[in-house]
Amino acid sequence: MKRRNVDLADLPARSAVQIDDRLQVASPLRRLFNKVFPDHWSFLLGEIALYSFIVLLLTGTFLALFFDPSMQETKYNGSFVPLRGIDMSEAYRSSLNISFDVRGGLFIRQMHHWAALLFMAAIVMHMLRTFFTGAFRRPRELNWIIGVLLFWMGFLEGFAGYSLPDDALSGTGLRIASAIMLSIPIAGTWVTTSLFGGEFPGTVILDRLYIVHVLIVPGVILALIAVHLGLLVKQKHTQWPGPGRTNSNVVGVRMFPGFALKGGGFFMIVFAMIALLGGIFQINPIWLFGPYRASVVSAASQPDWYVMFLDGSTRLMPPWEFRWHMFGNYYDIPPLFWPTVVLPGILTMLPIFYPFIEARFTKDKATHHLLQRPRDVPARTAIGAMAVSFYLVLLVSGANDVIADKLRISLNAMTWAGRVGLLLIPPLAYYVTHRICLGLQQHDREVLSHGVETGIIRRTPEGRFYEVHQPLGPVDEHGHGELPYAGWVVPKKMNRVGALLPTLRGFFKPVETVDDVENEQSSNAPVSPAPSRHHEIGTGGRS
Amino acid sequence: MTANNRPLDPGADTPGARPLDRDASSLGAAGGRETAHDEQPDMGRAPRDGRPGRRGVFTRLAAPRAPRSRLRRRAWAGARMVAALALVGGLYAAFAPNVHAEDSSTLSGAAQQGQTLYNSSCITCHGRNGQGVPGRGPSLIGVGSAAVEFQVTTGRMPLNQQQSEADRKKPTFSDDQARDIGAYIEALGGGPQLPNGSDLHSNGDISAGGDLFRVNCSSCHAFGMGGGALSSGKYAPSLNNATDRQIYAAMLTGPENMPMFGDDQLTPQEKQDIIAYIRHQTNDQDPGGFGLGRLGPVPEALVIFLVGIVALVFAALWIAGKS
Amino acid sequence: MSTTTEHDDDFDVEDRSLSRFDLVREGARRDGVQIVHYAPKFPVPGTKREKRVVRTIALLFAITGLAALAFLISYIWWPYEYKSGFNINKYYTPMLGITLGLTLLSIGLAIITWGKKLLPDEISVQDRHDQIADETERKLTGATMVHMVDELGIKRRPMLAKAALLGLAPVGALAAAPLVGGLIKDPHHPDVLVHTGWDNKLTNNGQPIRLVRDDLTPIRPEDVSVGGQMTVYPGIPGGNTNEYADSPTLLIHLRDEDATKLRENLKHVPANRDHMYGNLVAYSKICTHAGCPASLFEQQTNILLCPCHQSQFNIVDNARPIFGPATRRLPMLPLSVDSDGFLIAKSDYQQPVGPGFWERP
Repeated sequence: MKRRNVDLADLPARSAVQIDDRLQVASPLRRLFNKVFPDHWSFLLGEIALYSFIVLLLTGTFLALFFDPSMQETKYNGSFVPLRGIDMSEAYRSSLNISFDVRGGLFIRQMHHWAALLFMAAIVMHMLRTFFTGAFRRPRELNWIIGVLLFWMGFLEGFAGYSLPDDALSGTGLRIASAIMLSIPIAGTWVTTSLFGGEFPGTVILDRLYIVHVLIVPGVILALIAVHLGLLVKQKHTQWPGPGRTNSNVVGVRMFPGFALKGGGFFMIVFAMIALLGGIFQINPIWLFGPYRASVVSAASQPDWYVMFLDGSTRLMPPWEFRWHMFGNYYDIPPLFWPTVVLPGILTMLPIFYPFIEARFTKDKATHHLLQRPRDVPARTAIGAMAVSFYLVLLVSGANDVIADKLRISLNAMTWAGRVGLLLIPPLAYYVTHRICLGLQQHDREVLSHGVETGIIRRTPEGRFYEVHQPLGPVDEHGHGELPYAGWVVPKKMNRVGALLPTLRGFFKPVETVDDVENEQSSNAPVSPAPSRHHEIGTGGRS
Repeated sequence: MTANNRPLDPGADTPGARPLDRDASSLGAAGGRETAHDEQPDMGRAPRDGRPGRRGVFTRLAAPRAPRSRLRRRAWAGARMVAALALVGGLYAAFAPNVHAEDSSTLSGAAQQGQTLYNSSCITCHGRNGQGVPGRGPSLIGVGSAAVEFQVTTGRMPLNQQQSEADRKKPTFSDDQARDIGAYIEALGGGPQLPNGSDLHSNGDISAGGDLFRVNCSSCHAFGMGGGALSSGKYAPSLNNATDRQIYAAMLTGPENMPMFGDDQLTPQEKQDIIAYIRHQTNDQDPGGFGLGRLGPVPEALVIFLVGIVALVFAALWIAGKS
Repeated sequence: MSTTTEHDDDFDVEDRSLSRFDLVREGARRDGVQIVHYAPKFPVPGTKREKRVVRTIALLFAITGLAALAFLISYIWWPYEYKSGFNINKYYTPMLGITLGLTLLSIGLAIITWGKKLLPDEISVQDRHDQIADETERKLTGATMVHMVDELGIKRRPMLAKAALLGLAPVGALAAAPLVGGLIKDPHHPDVLVHTGWDNKLTNNGQPIRLVRDDLTPIRPEDVSVGGQMTVYPGIPGGNTNEYADSPTLLIHLRDEDATKLRENLKHVPANRDHMYGNLVAYSKICTHAGCPASLFEQQTNILLCPCHQSQFNIVDNARPIFGPATRRLPMLPLSVDSDGFLIAKSDYQQPVGPGFWERP
């Protein structure tokens, strides 16, 4: 054992000593290494968003080397034949140049776009996880709010990026954006002409959007992510309830080496996914759309998916315009105002205040570090289902012309279905989800008191049939257990309580023998006698 | 421009003037279009002449032919039909089918064969001599061979059943048979005709065609040419399977709800430009991998969730799973 | 357990009898982390299963290297220039995607397999007791902060507070001024939202403006096919560019009976009374809902559809919105013919073109 100490002194990290002499980082560094992370797949959804953002920064930097946001008119002379000799803006020309004349440019452009879609998709998945498990409750309200803001910042960033190439589709989107700004009461016209530098489209909007897209919004997103992660480290991760897990501890693996390896590996997998999408699936083929012109449009003009729900709300809006006469002038609120300004406003404010609203209704002011299973909070889960179904109706309506065309449904019928569905489906979703949650809860309680269904049918001497139940704990004289519900998965199948052995390892052929497994498992099987592969209960195992 | 510019037709555009007369005369003059560069030196560009291949097309189209009428292939009531016919005027009346059409001897060989096919497959709905059957099928007098060729070669006619819009399907007749029927219908009442040959794109300018396509066609047929929805269950079809002649015929005759693009509106050269662009795009492999039907952001949304998110959730399940 | 930072005097890091893992465990303990379970996956070295795992990881790294090499080779030597039609160049992007994807995927799989299969099984428990607010600390900090304010003596010298407030407020405005002042643009002078390129006083010195095609050629009434439509622009320099983004107009040649219907209906909109020319009618192409070009013209049903939000307009009734979110008719352009027989606009649109806004007249 003496040798060990010598080893320590001989560590090649002599420089580490030098650094620590100056900065005294040993203690905080070790604290970081020893930080414990709980292990659950749903905790990795936010990581997808983080890693996509890193890919966005990398690919975006590459694109910025070749992109020119100028709206100066020019003639295309590049290698894409069908656009040669066409007048277009410098922005569109340079986007085509990236796609066709920069080596690997199209690949990077497609990766950038797919990463943006993935970033937003992962944010939404992560938000759903946080919502349905109650991870936003005290003390994490602030981090939830930052998450909501990150969604809207990503939305803004994505829209600005979508507008930059100045193709006919993005120009159409920008025109709708200008119409949305115009619809704002009182200030609308001033806001629009100020941002566009005059009448739509003007000559400056792309330069402005460019600086928004590459500096301002990414800077805000980066700052918000830093605070988001800082709060995560400070407040530590939530965890699911389970053996040994309490409200005052975190059970898992330490950051080094276990969590760091998994996190680094997952980054590579997310990056790989984006690369595969970017190479295999064509996205936003701007060369098909041509340069933006005010008179040009295409059937099936849609925004990217994270904006599509607002397009849907706009399509479903009935033609209601408020117009009145006052002081010798007419004033009016166009129908565009409600689904594109008021609705997003509500959709921002409602989630931001939701943690406080819920705490008020449940009178729950306690600090929570343990997550809740969605079934255990039926009201919240049902509200979430209502919100998701509301969102999905809008999303589908945003694509209703494509759906109508491809599935041969009347476009007008799709619009009406969306209008009716938007009012009917969310309450229905609330009711159904609430019932499902209660049903699942009841089943959990039943299993806890009666045991697991074994599938074994017995017949009593009187001729009555009954199913044998495997109790999960000690039982009273009626065969009823008194296990309390622990807020975590209740085993409902016999193999969950160790009645069956796990299958042999190996992909095409087993790489272990029955005896290997036998030796490993028999010692810690929770039922006795430990099941053996030689006489297991009714399966077609490979013994 | 070309020598066959027709003189202006004063009075043709006063309210109530008969479009049939006007079109008959203008199209008889082979569809030349006035350009302004003489009268309007300040207009900067005079792009209508000097295009390659223009004169060739003109010569082809300038062959003498029967005057056309613009009567639509539409479910007109019989009374309206008669009224319209009465208005058509002397020139038209000379070709009116109820006088001589039964006399097969005036028909060319192709038209006679077309008549045989017509009488076996089309007469039920469109009536004897293409006069139409009220409530069943519109009159075909004056629709021209172009319309017939479009409807028959795309399989839309003969119709299986009455529906809001005829679908493209496997054609019943061969192209030659379709042309024969077209010749017969042409003989009944004239109407727009297609130029010869099946290659109507080689002389086109792809870039110019792209510009025209985006202004005139993409709003319904979409940038990706996959078609799109119209109001109440109607739709603009995909252009991916359409032949040169079918596209040309569609522009010329405006089938179903498609607007018409006569030769004064899009010159034959411009039509070829558009066809050249469509041909190029439908024959161009997507450079960015699988094109997702060129349908825009909707399939992209499906891919990011069904492929991206699903695959990564499985990866997360594996990573966090017990080993 | 005791608090995280407290140093345990009984523990001597210099003690030579301690293993390195003892040090790790003690370090973790001081950080409030208890390693409750720590078992190597393969206690006996060299078993078949361990070798298998090691081989798998090695293979994944080998694939990484090969795929990375394949990426480099295709990046440099695969032809990437655009060529029309079906050809090998079109596989450039897929090649890059597949090789880069494979490279990164196999790195990821290798690292995770390493972490999952070779690292010891671990269960660590970290305390959260640093997340309980400390009353004493809070009091001390609070006192410090209040004291700071006291030292400034604002309570004693209230005038200073007011003076500072008054003096600093303009500084805040000063920060916002360049942003607002630089960007702000009056929408009413000139009144860009009401006038279009068709306003001949503003754009053409009062001369009548011809309707022109995309290539700036003027149009005779008979050029538009019956049952046809044509996108037209004001015949002024730049009239077909985005400089006049609210000027594109749809010129429609109605069939006789439809034109009769529309003439009949013109009385519903007095402003449109003399706007048709023969059977020709011209509507603004810019949708009154969100500004997309409403140009899906159904020539039999006489419906004009906007592809962005599916508003539908009945063109034989002054472009009345009949479906979708649009509330206003498309404005009609007054048509006439000049002495050369070309179509001209008699004046600008009588109503504002495009999407609505607050002070719309």
